[in-house]
Amino acid sequence: MNIELIFQIAGIGILTSIFHTVLKQAGKEEYSFIATLAGVSIALIMVVQLLADLLNKVKSVFFLS
Amino acid sequence: MEILQVVGIGFVGAILAVFIKERNKEAAILVSLTTGVIIFLFALSKVEAVIDVLWKLASSANINTFYLTTILKIIGIAYIAEFGSQICKDAGEGSVAAKIEFAAKILIMVLALPILVAILESILRLIP
Repeated sequence: MNIELIFQIAGIGILTSIFHTVLKQAGKEEYSFIATLAGVSIALIMVVQLLADLLNKVKSVFFLS
Repeated sequence: MEILQVVGIGFVGAILAVFIKERNKEAAILVSLTTGVIIFLFALSKVEAVIDVLWKLASSANINTFYLTTILKIIGIAYIAEFGSQICKDAGEGSVAAKIEFAAKILIMVLALPILVAILESILRLIP
């Protein structure tokens, strides 16, 4: 059980929200959107790897070919 | 006491998700998804041992392995579909969750069809 991943993704979420706020304050609306998108994408890549791990384990345990 | 670990991970994940939700909704969903996957992986490692015991019982009772694998496949499909539909429901996409459940029911029906046919055939053999 590697709980670090939860903290990593939570950190990415907090950081992107801070970037979003700072860039919005600086008047760069389009960059703030791109920053949020990038943060979510990075977190999504990490989650998808974990999800693939889970599905492979389920497949091997329940004989789902 | 592994249940304490599971509850601790759940609490940490839930609090982090609630904290992030106001600021960044997508990341909050990813946090809750990660928490769920980690707990699920832990539970799966325990289920493995139970299934081993089931295999041994089935082989000592001379049950056809086809039926046991079918039942296990159905359980696996149900677990995965439930997991996916819950995540979709948490994300506020109730219609996608309903479609996932629908597809899982169809897949389970397809898997259960050979067993149904076998039951009907054995009944027909008993009737005359």
